[in-house]
Amino acid sequence: MLRKMKVMMVTDSLQVGGAEQVAVDIANTLDRDTHQVYFCATRCDGLLRSSLKSDVEVMVLERSATWDLLKLLAFGKYVRTEGIDVLHSHGRGTMRFIALCKALGIIKAEHVFHDHFGRLHLDRSAGRGLTIPLHHGVDAYIGVESRLCRWAIETVGLPKEKVSLVRSGVDLERFSSATAIDLRSEFDLGDCALVLLMVANFRPQKDHPTLFRAIAELTKAQQESIRLVVCGSTTADPAYFEGCMAMLERLEIAHLVRTIGVRNDAPSLMAGADAGVFSSKNESGPLVILEYMASELPFVATETGEIAHAVKNAGVGILTEPRDYLALADGLAALLEMSNKERAEMGGRGRTLVIEEFEQHVVVGQVEAIYEQLLSLSSHNLPTEQSARSSG
Amino acid sequence: MTIEPAALLRTRYPRAECEVSIALCTFNGAPWIEELLSSIAAQEILPDEVIVQDDCSEDATVLLIEQFAAQAPFEVRLEVNENRLGSTANFATALSRCRGRFIALADQDDVWYPTKLRRLIDELELDPTVTMVFSDADLIGPEGQSLGQQLWDTRLVGRMLRRRAVVPEELFARRALTTGCTMAVRRRAVAASLPFPDVLDNEDAPMRHDRWLSLVAASVGTVRALPEPLLGFRVHPDQETGVLLGSQLTQALGHAASAVFTAPVESSNATHLARADQLEAAAQRANEMGDFEEAHTLTAIASHHRSRVQGAGSVIDRLENISSGVRVGAYGWDRLGLIAVAGDIVRSVRPWRSTEGPKANI
Repeated sequence: MLRKMKVMMVTDSLQVGGAEQVAVDIANTLDRDTHQVYFCATRCDGLLRSSLKSDVEVMVLERSATWDLLKLLAFGKYVRTEGIDVLHSHGRGTMRFIALCKALGIIKAEHVFHDHFGRLHLDRSAGRGLTIPLHHGVDAYIGVESRLCRWAIETVGLPKEKVSLVRSGVDLERFSSATAIDLRSEFDLGDCALVLLMVANFRPQKDHPTLFRAIAELTKAQQESIRLVVCGSTTADPAYFEGCMAMLERLEIAHLVRTIGVRNDAPSLMAGADAGVFSSKNESGPLVILEYMASELPFVATETGEIAHAVKNAGVGILTEPRDYLALADGLAALLEMSNKERAEMGGRGRTLVIEEFEQHVVVGQVEAIYEQLLSLSSHNLPTEQSARSSG
Repeated sequence: MTIEPAALLRTRYPRAECEVSIALCTFNGAPWIEELLSSIAAQEILPDEVIVQDDCSEDATVLLIEQFAAQAPFEVRLEVNENRLGSTANFATALSRCRGRFIALADQDDVWYPTKLRRLIDELELDPTVTMVFSDADLIGPEGQSLGQQLWDTRLVGRMLRRRAVVPEELFARRALTTGCTMAVRRRAVAASLPFPDVLDNEDAPMRHDRWLSLVAASVGTVRALPEPLLGFRVHPDQETGVLLGSQLTQALGHAASAVFTAPVESSNATHLARADQLEAAAQRANEMGDFEEAHTLTAIASHHRSRVQGAGSVIDRLENISSGVRVGAYGWDRLGLIAVAGDIVRSVRPWRSTEGPKANI
């Protein structure tokens, strides 16, 4: 019996977020015949833990800083004891943590860094705090968008062969098995024509104010025919959340909006909504658009990130320029003008596109190939079943 | 902060009707206007419209613009003011007439290089969060001859801007970094800046249209600085935006440094209060657009200006204010910032001066 490749996903936390969801989806869908899967949240636990398959070994490190020496040693010991072959980190802080472990010789496993950085428009720099760990502590770099890959090659100076573009995918199983929640009765929304759902934590990047201003631009009749449910953490940035709530009052649209906090049943919420909305300023993914599509939801979203660009002309949603509340208002109005049949067709096209291009197995196939290539290049030369298969 | 009624938060600026507008303000610009207009007509990408706002010129400026408009490859919409407005109010009027998604500002005496509009618009197209982009400029003499220097360097911001891809709002809060003729602005930022608030027109510390526009643009989005010079910036005695060269620059720096230490209390206080009002006005615009973080930064710097008003609190309080100003980024780490810190420390511990003297330039 050949030994399975031992892979550990490493994130900051298991709290709900785009990068964390990608890590969970990869952990759940790696081929179990050839991989044994571990998951490490280096800072804290969270709601996503319940989404992990039961065969995934979970470790919560509770480190308090990047350079938390005791946790660093504990992590290294665990990785060595378990014989982990590949560490797959998500998020730059986590990447630095693992790179430091490698630099100190605490671990020798291959390190794949999955970069989801969403603020490249503000910060294209690559200081020594990034270039040193990327050059000396990362064996393969995965960017979720082409801009990130270009940055890694041109600004950081990583060799091209180390850099791969892997667009985010979505685990359809989560959506196929979801039971719809009746949002109208659950959140006392009355008899409105359309329930819109926005899944995004209250953080400045997600730009809820642009959506609120767009709703304020609609006619009274249009406003009365919609209700907006916002699902996402209200504590990630309390000042921003308070600002958003004050804005709703000032715009006199607070009665149209329900904020329901963070939830771990987003697929069920999506199944019960009539359309998705997303108003982020800047994203590298964003994964939530794929989730709307997987739920057969038509959507109005800002065109930002690899996925939004990829689906732009597919007729699966209405995309508008980020931060432009007038354009977003036009998008919402267009959605309202569509018939139920047209909206359902749009949602159907989204689901088909996800199956064809963004299904998690497509993504995981690319990731597994990167692991394979890495291990075949390294001195490990791990005899996995897959390499055994390919050699006959 | 004042909360505006909902009606005021609704659209106050119509949707874009074309791609690129140029806002040009003129006043007695006959000697140079033809060269500027020809350089606009020779751009690699042409604007959809040029909005000209003439501020009651007494020379042939209007006639020359009309002649150009008759054969221009784009629409030229000239309007002559009934009364003189001054450059800031004139630009506010011009901007309010622009219909483009992107609006480039022009001064009557410059010469645009053929790539200028394309380079600026490309940057805005590339990233929808970018609300403004501005470039450097080559300095040229009255006859168009090169002076061998660049605009950013004469404003002592060259080194700082060349190091930064993004220019944050606190830098514009501290000082004017550039002039309007180097800028192109996304409509959304222009919309947020209009109407210009009355507090700009303060005789102790006026804030010009371009500084206000860049401050608002940085507060409601991202501002990028392009280090390449995209125009010839003409230096001549009649221009409104002065440029200091060689020994003039050294002299002005010395003067600014001495003013920080010797400016009379009344003048310094009035300047600080005016800046505080202006920054709070910008913070309010950011708040309206949902940029709460940026609004908070500007409000903190505005509060710091208020706290710098002399006579407020004990020496210890004033020293603490200086320390908090450093923390919120109210001073900056360039030469002028360090001089301002030193000046504030001296003023916080010495007896007040109230005689007239040179004005502090903050």
